[in-house]
Amino acid sequence: MTMNDDFLDAALKRQTQAPATDEAAVARVLARLAGPLPRQKRPFWRLPTVLLDWQFAPAWPRLAALGACAALGFFIGIAGIDRPIGGFTLSNSTTGAGFGAVLFEPEAVTGAQP
Amino acid sequence: MDVSDGDRPAADDSDEALMARIARGDERAYRVLARRHLPAMLGLARRILGNAADAEDVAQEAMLRVWTHAPRWQPLAALRTWLTRVVVNLCLDRKRRAPWVALEAAGELVDPAPGAAERSETEERDRRLAAAIAGLPARQRSAIVLTYGDGMSNAQVAEILDTTVSAVETLLVRGKQNLRRALGDAMDEDKE
Repeated sequence: MTMNDDFLDAALKRQTQAPATDEAAVARVLARLAGPLPRQKRPFWRLPTVLLDWQFAPAWPRLAALGACAALGFFIGIAGIDRPIGGFTLSNSTTGAGFGAVLFEPEAVTGAQP
Repeated sequence: MDVSDGDRPAADDSDEALMARIARGDERAYRVLARRHLPAMLGLARRILGNAADAEDVAQEAMLRVWTHAPRWQPLAALRTWLTRVVVNLCLDRKRRAPWVALEAAGELVDPAPGAAERSETEERDRRLAAAIAGLPARQRSAIVLTYGDGMSNAQVAEILDTTVSAVETLLVRGKQNLRRALGDAMDEDKE
């Protein structure tokens, strides 16, 4: 047997070519697949995409929600998150007196100084 | 989670269209796709594994993966390429797990032939070649089957085997060296 490249290539093509379709085997596998199929693997980002859907066109409630969030953010940004919104502060009740006026206030009944 | 009966998948729908339906849980589209690709995948698994029963298991597992992974599947490559890759990987996994039983299985690679008395010299050479192919390492055999049997380019084989083109060329060269060695040894035994 001469084992040159052409002979080997031709023999390999002959040997490894796809066999005729084995319909019986195909039918057996299809029958096994006919039963209940397993659960599909869903991508983990599937649920968040519902929340991250930025298609505004027909969904005016989503636009309204976005506008409300934007307005709230604007007011919080203007006012500062550390300041009370009502305008009342401790400093208003002691305007001009300083912190010492709170500590060294005269006794309400006797008028005694600390 | 089956889709409505409104529009049924057609046998001539593209793979991508069927996969989109399967991703939505359409079992009928899955059956159409399985019927389309199963024969080729069975043939490929059988040529790599050399065993019909194992090939059926691998083909079934590969088709189940089509169903379970359909929602995640991205049409970056042809479905056929992806499916071939799944089948080859499943075959390689199976070969790693199971010890090799070469010669009985090698007989199945040859087309059904007339009786032993009528075998010509060519048939005898083919039988030896089949046995030698069956004895190759699994990756070398996969590369040879995909290249010579399915007529794939080295780039396609590299994509399926998840390696480089030069690595595929190396696999083919080493595979053929091993075949020459095995067949040379067989011839030497004949001469003795």
